[in-house]
Amino acid sequence: MLVGLVASTALALSACGGGTTGSSGESAGPGAKAAQGGTLQVLQNAAYSHLDPARGFDGGVNNFYRLIYRTLTTQGAAPGADGTKIVPDLATDTGKPSDGGKTWTFTLKDGLFFETGAPITSADVKWGVSRAWDPEIGIGSPYAKQLIEAPASYQGPYKSGDLSTIATPDAKTIVFHLKKPFADFGSVVAQNTFTPVPKGQGAGNQLDSKPISSGPYKLAEYKPGASLKLVRNDKWDKKTDDVRTANPEAFQWTFGLDPATIDERMIAGQGTDADAIAGTIQAASVARIQTPQLKQRTMTGINGCTTYMGLNTTKKPLDNVKVRQAINLAINKQTVRDADGGSALAEIGTSIQPPTVAGRVDYDPYPSPDHKGDVEGARKLLTDAGFASGFTMTLDTRAQPKMQAMAVAIQQALEPLKITVKINTIDTATYYEVIGTTSQQHDAAITGWCPDWPSGATFLPPLFDGRNITTKGNTNLSQLNDAGVNAKIDEISKLTDVQAANAAYGELDKQIMALAPVVPLLYEKVLMLVGSNIGGAYLHDGFSGGIDLVSVGLKDAGK
Amino acid sequence: MLKKDKGALACLAFLAIVVLMAVAAPLITKLSGWGPYQFDSAATNSDLGGVPHGALGGISGSHWFGVEPQNGRDLFARIVYGARVSITISLSATLLTGILGVVLGMLAGFYRGWVDQVISRLMDFLMAFPALIFMIAILSSLPAGNRPVLLVVVISAFGWPYLARVIRGQTMTLANREFVEAARASGAKGTQVVFREILPNLRGSIVVMTTLAIPGYIGTEAGLSFLGVGVSPPTASWGQMIASSVSWYSVDPMFFAIPGAFLFLTVLSLTVLGDKIRTMVDQGVAA
Repeated sequence: MLVGLVASTALALSACGGGTTGSSGESAGPGAKAAQGGTLQVLQNAAYSHLDPARGFDGGVNNFYRLIYRTLTTQGAAPGADGTKIVPDLATDTGKPSDGGKTWTFTLKDGLFFETGAPITSADVKWGVSRAWDPEIGIGSPYAKQLIEAPASYQGPYKSGDLSTIATPDAKTIVFHLKKPFADFGSVVAQNTFTPVPKGQGAGNQLDSKPISSGPYKLAEYKPGASLKLVRNDKWDKKTDDVRTANPEAFQWTFGLDPATIDERMIAGQGTDADAIAGTIQAASVARIQTPQLKQRTMTGINGCTTYMGLNTTKKPLDNVKVRQAINLAINKQTVRDADGGSALAEIGTSIQPPTVAGRVDYDPYPSPDHKGDVEGARKLLTDAGFASGFTMTLDTRAQPKMQAMAVAIQQALEPLKITVKINTIDTATYYEVIGTTSQQHDAAITGWCPDWPSGATFLPPLFDGRNITTKGNTNLSQLNDAGVNAKIDEISKLTDVQAANAAYGELDKQIMALAPVVPLLYEKVLMLVGSNIGGAYLHDGFSGGIDLVSVGLKDAGK
Repeated sequence: MLKKDKGALACLAFLAIVVLMAVAAPLITKLSGWGPYQFDSAATNSDLGGVPHGALGGISGSHWFGVEPQNGRDLFARIVYGARVSITISLSATLLTGILGVVLGMLAGFYRGWVDQVISRLMDFLMAFPALIFMIAILSSLPAGNRPVLLVVVISAFGWPYLARVIRGQTMTLANREFVEAARASGAKGTQVVFREILPNLRGSIVVMTTLAIPGYIGTEAGLSFLGVGVSPPTASWGQMIASSVSWYSVDPMFFAIPGAFLFLTVLSLTVLGDKIRTMVDQGVAA
């Protein structure tokens, strides 16, 4: 998924790999055991995009959905790699393949109910999944649509009725027929679109204003853009759920707070803010949280996304691989990182896939001392390519101070090569639409990508498969259409062993970087301050490094 | 008279420095050793989010005013180049509003009738607008293009009626004076009367109004840059520096204090000086 969606919600800037610094495990830190009960506060800048599980799709909202929705499988609830392991949720196992991986069968557990008291049946799961084909509703996770066989004209249950390729032989069994074998389908059914919705419900905007809960909490009050309150769903049975601890009695969100205000409140930690969690702090606050007391309340880890600069290979002179390699060599990633907030808020990126992706290889194809850029090497490449006298290129960037600062750092790094970078600032709201429209994008753009689950399958094909280039909503920003890369993607998708596939994606990463269609810049980090009464908190690798909401709680619920 | 006033002299001296900085910016930065866009990673602490090393925001022998947090750009160089932006934009805007205000004000005041009606209603219309809000709206909807020119045009479009209204009133009184009648009687045409007879008599008012307008425009430019619709990065601008210093106020107060002080002193000096000129003109008229 696009990192921009993630960055738009404050909590969302997080995904993976996060161990906690300070004293996790000790009784004082945020990792301490949480008690049952109490109201946990969440301070957030941007509200969640959608409450409808078929619509929302970014690290922050995915994390939130686990409080109110359950899916057939889900990611584990633990720090580190255990958090990205797929475990059964509504289903009794992670699925039984047959027909060579083309047909997948899941069986539901006993004792599952919606908040209304109605039992959750396989028909409800099917109804929920088939909503993904509705052109207005199915704007979230694309995987159900991409993988499950369906008539070309199918437009969701409200318009087209029953979907024949998902069978429900009885109330407990659901069978999916895929377009082609897919080894990792057990991970796919953890996507939001596999949330059960009572058959016949959820048309239009119904779920965006009033979700029908299958998880441990239900919506009590919702003021869009201002606040949201969840309370315990007493129809949820802990015995059916091995993943969610669901400690607090209620969750209270406050939206629309200024990031600087959030930092001030979290640093002060007064009143109910002691029971609060919030998103990543601003660069300016990093120096202020260095006291031992505040360090104890700090959590950090990388967010599992890659921030990169895409180079449009259809534009001259970026169609020349040597020019792209020269740019890769010349960029001073130290200054880019400083623009983003320094070493506390980002690590320097060298490969396309971030460290949290399984099978990723740590390598640096365009090395330079301290990542400060190798101007001489770049100049040599440019001279070979016939551009010793430089050229002018336009860099698209979002109208956001951090992004603009990164663009200026890149502009500065390329100046000695006589490459004049014109910065084209685009409004945040329309940024991804503009750069995803091939006729409107310029020579380069700064953007990011987060894996939908930590595997190369959700990282490299969406960004570099030449057959995925579309005139609108394009994610292959470099418009790379390389026969070798395309063939390799096909080859890997045929592998039935998930681990072998991940390792192959690690090699594909190298193969793509030899063509230099992008400049990997940073792996951003989450760095958050939690209230002093927060316990059970750890950063979840699957949710852009956000605090796992189904496990966090209050140390003293009576406060 | 100006010589006896120490305050006014100090203001004049400060303005002279600012103008000199603006004019000789490339020379000055060559002397100080750092360009306005040059990064200095060594001057900031990456591990602490990019806070400048050293006290007072990294003030040292090599960075005279310290550095910007995160990227380590030299504040002195950015102040010097920021003066360029402030001075160019405010002077151009003053010139444009001066021309528009004087010409339209005189025409309205001299010809009366439908000319006056059209111009006066246009002035009422523009003055009734919440100017700042419209400037933000217009500037954020316009394509990137040449920002400084756009700023001048937008600021002037909303600024000229204030001058034009005063000029119109004065023209109305002047139009009934004997020397105008005399010029008319000796056969002078309308435009001749306006530009040969009336304009020279408006000199005092024009000088006073425009000097007092310059600090206003400097403030407006800084305000618009502060709000993110001014000149686009990486161009240095005082308003933009103040905007980015806001989140750093508690860890690096100098980042706010330095551009803030320059903006404050420039506006103050111009206002004080404008006031002095008005006094002088008034006394001159009385004498």
